[in-house]
Amino acid sequence: MKFQLKKITAVMAMALALVVTSCSKDDPADETPTGTGTLKLEFDNVYGSADFAFGTNYTNSHGEVITPSSIKYIVSNVVLTKADGSTFTYPKSDSYFIVDEATATSQIISLPNIPAGDYKTVKFGIGVDQAQWALGATGQGNFLTAAQTAGMMWSWTAGYKFLAFEGTFTSATVTTAAQYKIHTGQTGTDYNYSDVTLALPANALVRTTITPQIHILTDLKKIMDGTHKVSLSTAATIMGGSQLAQITTNFPSMFSVAHVHND
Amino acid sequence: MKIKHLILLVLLLIISCNNETEDDYINLPIKLEVPSNFPPLAYNLANNPPTEKGFELGKKLFYEGRLSSDGIVSCGFCHEQSSAFTHHGHTFSHGVDNNIGTRNAPPIQNMAFQTTFMWDGTAQNLDLQPIIPFTSPIEMNGDFSNALAMMAADPVYVKLFKQAFADGKINSENMLKALGQFQALMISSNSRFDKYRRNEAGGTLTQEELDGYSIFNQKCASCHATDIFTDNSFRNNGLSINPNINDIGRYRFTQLEQDKYKFKVPSLRNIEKTAPYMHDGRLFTLDAVLDHYSNGVVNSVTLDPILNNNGTLGIPLTNAEKTKIIAFLYTLTDNQYLTDKRFSEY
Repeated sequence: MKFQLKKITAVMAMALALVVTSCSKDDPADETPTGTGTLKLEFDNVYGSADFAFGTNYTNSHGEVITPSSIKYIVSNVVLTKADGSTFTYPKSDSYFIVDEATATSQIISLPNIPAGDYKTVKFGIGVDQAQWALGATGQGNFLTAAQTAGMMWSWTAGYKFLAFEGTFTSATVTTAAQYKIHTGQTGTDYNYSDVTLALPANALVRTTITPQIHILTDLKKIMDGTHKVSLSTAATIMGGSQLAQITTNFPSMFSVAHVHND
Repeated sequence: MKIKHLILLVLLLIISCNNETEDDYINLPIKLEVPSNFPPLAYNLANNPPTEKGFELGKKLFYEGRLSSDGIVSCGFCHEQSSAFTHHGHTFSHGVDNNIGTRNAPPIQNMAFQTTFMWDGTAQNLDLQPIIPFTSPIEMNGDFSNALAMMAADPVYVKLFKQAFADGKINSENMLKALGQFQALMISSNSRFDKYRRNEAGGTLTQEELDGYSIFNQKCASCHATDIFTDNSFRNNGLSINPNINDIGRYRFTQLEQDKYKFKVPSLRNIEKTAPYMHDGRLFTLDAVLDHYSNGVVNSVTLDPILNNNGTLGIPLTNAEKTKIIAFLYTLTDNQYLTDKRFSEY
């Protein structure tokens, strides 16, 4: 009798132990991940429904055939939102990057020291924000140097080009290939910074052991053919004035998320 | 081990473990005193508090020819202290490779009390303003990357950056902040006029000068306002258009039609020393300036309304009034500022 009781108790204890331990095993939905990890943002330039490449002829909505030779833009102020609604703002002075089609390594932005968690939204800005501009040199670190080296400094306004898109084009009225340059940035009338918020099709799982990569598509067609449509034949050098504000309104819709890798 | 040896060892350890070297950050703040007759400070000191070493680094940068691509053109090359930091006698300045600009080098004085910089206001933050002349191909033609590498290889700069900034980094932020500290502290406020305004010794104005001040207040101070003598606005003061340059002024920045041919109202301090005058240095004497206002104003779409009184252009001034105004303007000469060793190259 005693022996059997002991046995039963032992079995029950073991079973209980099993249940307890199995219930406390890693259940991603229940357990809060700890530590930090790295998150990567990949900016993949496309044009409409095709991959983007220099030297390719693209036709815009005005029937102008453009052959791009350079596209660069400043990505900044990354803010990540977790599945539970809380946000993580990447340290401001480290959150300025230049994405350059001509430099493969610049197209994947690596953000270390992100608190582990499941992220559902990524937000970033195109350009250098007004709050940073108001601080002057403070907080910029060496970004001005990086910008000048990358050709993204706007010397004449003591500031930055937020987006620079260049190439040549022809049209019904411009039959010999002519140069086009679109440079956005702060002007005397508009600041021209834009925020982009993207919901992720699948959560980005940042862990000490997982480095998710968010594959973002940047549709360059939208630069000239967003809600505002640019006509290069009217003006091929666009570096100021009210049209910059109009072109800037095209930016948020340029970006979409293709997918999220969690590995 | 003998006690003696132990003591020696300990002493050695203490000395070698002592981290204080003269290369550490030195936090000796410089207090910026706002003269009582000045408008409020526009510069944000909290973002870039001046320290002795920050100021010293800023001054060294101001006079550093190696910042330019030819190793010669420093800020001080076009901004000479004895001329209130203008380019004495030059209409336009020549930068690297003998490139000539299209605008007259303005004085550097009391910039911390101003809200826009450059003749067309393309810089609005004093710390960022140096980017324009530093990187302009016709001025210093400078490159941040090269300049920072030059300084990183120069022990004097390495030490100064460490002493001036807690992070000790040689980067564009600290380089510009040092220059910002230097420029912010360049205050000209001890002319005879200032002493008169503050009832200090040496502040006596002659009757002629007082009359000139009175006329000035009636006819000039609406634009040349406050004891900084500018209202920081952009105006077309009726200069005829130079067809060779057709300088459209602020329009370049705003692309607003109403801003064509408008330029920043300059401060008139030390005006005795800052000839030639106007954004393109076309007027060589103060007589010529006042003659322009009385007889030379040209009408245009953007001419400032103040200079058009129902068809009468300009500011009516008699010869006697002009003499008095000029006498008054000479009282703005601040010899202390023009010779202040704190701002001097040598």
